[in-house]
Amino acid sequence: MIIIKKIKENLFLSIVALAYIIMFIAKPAMGIESVKSSGYYIKEMLMIMPVIFILTALLDMWVPKEKILRYLGKEAKTKGILLSFVVGSISAGPVYAAFPMCVMLHKKGASIRNVVIILSSWAVIKIPMLINEAKFLGLKFMALRWVLTVIVIIIFSWLTAKIIKDQDIPGEVLTRAGLHINRDACMGCTLCAKSYPELFEIENKRALVKPQEALDMDKLENAIRACPVKAISYNENTAM
Amino acid sequence: MDIFTLAIWIGTLTFLGISLAKDKVKTKQALKMALGMGKGMVASILSIIFAIGLILTLLPPTEIAAFLRSQSALLATVGGALLGTITLVPAFIAFPLVGTLVHAGVSVVPSVAFLTTLTMVGVVTFPLENKAFGTKFTAVRNGLSFLFAIAIALVMGMML
Repeated sequence: MIIIKKIKENLFLSIVALAYIIMFIAKPAMGIESVKSSGYYIKEMLMIMPVIFILTALLDMWVPKEKILRYLGKEAKTKGILLSFVVGSISAGPVYAAFPMCVMLHKKGASIRNVVIILSSWAVIKIPMLINEAKFLGLKFMALRWVLTVIVIIIFSWLTAKIIKDQDIPGEVLTRAGLHINRDACMGCTLCAKSYPELFEIENKRALVKPQEALDMDKLENAIRACPVKAISYNENTAM
Repeated sequence: MDIFTLAIWIGTLTFLGISLAKDKVKTKQALKMALGMGKGMVASILSIIFAIGLILTLLPPTEIAAFLRSQSALLATVGGALLGTITLVPAFIAFPLVGTLVHAGVSVVPSVAFLTTLTMVGVVTFPLENKAFGTKFTAVRNGLSFLFAIAIALVMGMML
């Protein structure tokens, strides 16, 4: 049963693994080639993902919700759209690098429309890519495709925001590994610090987790239950 | 490492230094959070990467080019757009490849359709995007991207 559950949780991974097993039995040479061509992408990932995770966590920690809301929220209008295009265009790395960043931004108040703009421009209109395109396909081709792509992203980000509501997005799945305090919900009531003073402290009227090696689960559960706004969450299974 | 990646590294490390100087506890917590995020995503990212490796072997870019060259414009456009969604070819392979296609006289429309869906729509990244944003968001974003990629291709075909 446990195995079936694990496979269900990692369905995609299981399918890929199975495909490789079949390939290595049927055509070993092709299997080796597949692993080799994956090498480039592993390098690409290692170059960008650690820094993206650190940057996302730092921004989450230091940039207050009001700032994100003001610059990337629904009310940011044209300014927000422009900023989203800039963020997406100066980014680096494959599109999946944008996922944790965008989840964090959305959690902190960025609108769906701006999240779509960041994701899409991150994927298509990165500056190093444009230079490459101009080299091989000509400046006119590149410029025309760039202009059309920007127009199209403006249109379909608007459409997406019409169809998708904020509640449709699960939210903090990617950032909710381990113990997490939703600092935007926390009102600084100090109840958690009272029920588990070794772990929680109050700073600037918000709760903060102290670095802690071992967790006392009973105390933690009490603190989670004590929180009046349910801002504390603990996810034992850090794997997705 | 290209200059943008380098700039992000330098910027982030500076940010980290300032954060550390200002508040050690907060910084430590941020790093823990980053590690948690990494742990949460690593299995999904590795499966994406190995899936790409597999697809590149089963469906090499040169064969995609041959397909786009041999079909009628309509079939090549739809086919190119579809092939673009399932593969994820790095830009330094994709652009020269499409460059040779266009110079060899293949119509612009299928080439652009292929190029645009290649990066904007992702079948292999679908499971991860799904986990991050939910099925509805992922389906709508990718679906609209696909349709609009074809629109871009058609407009470019008229203008070039």
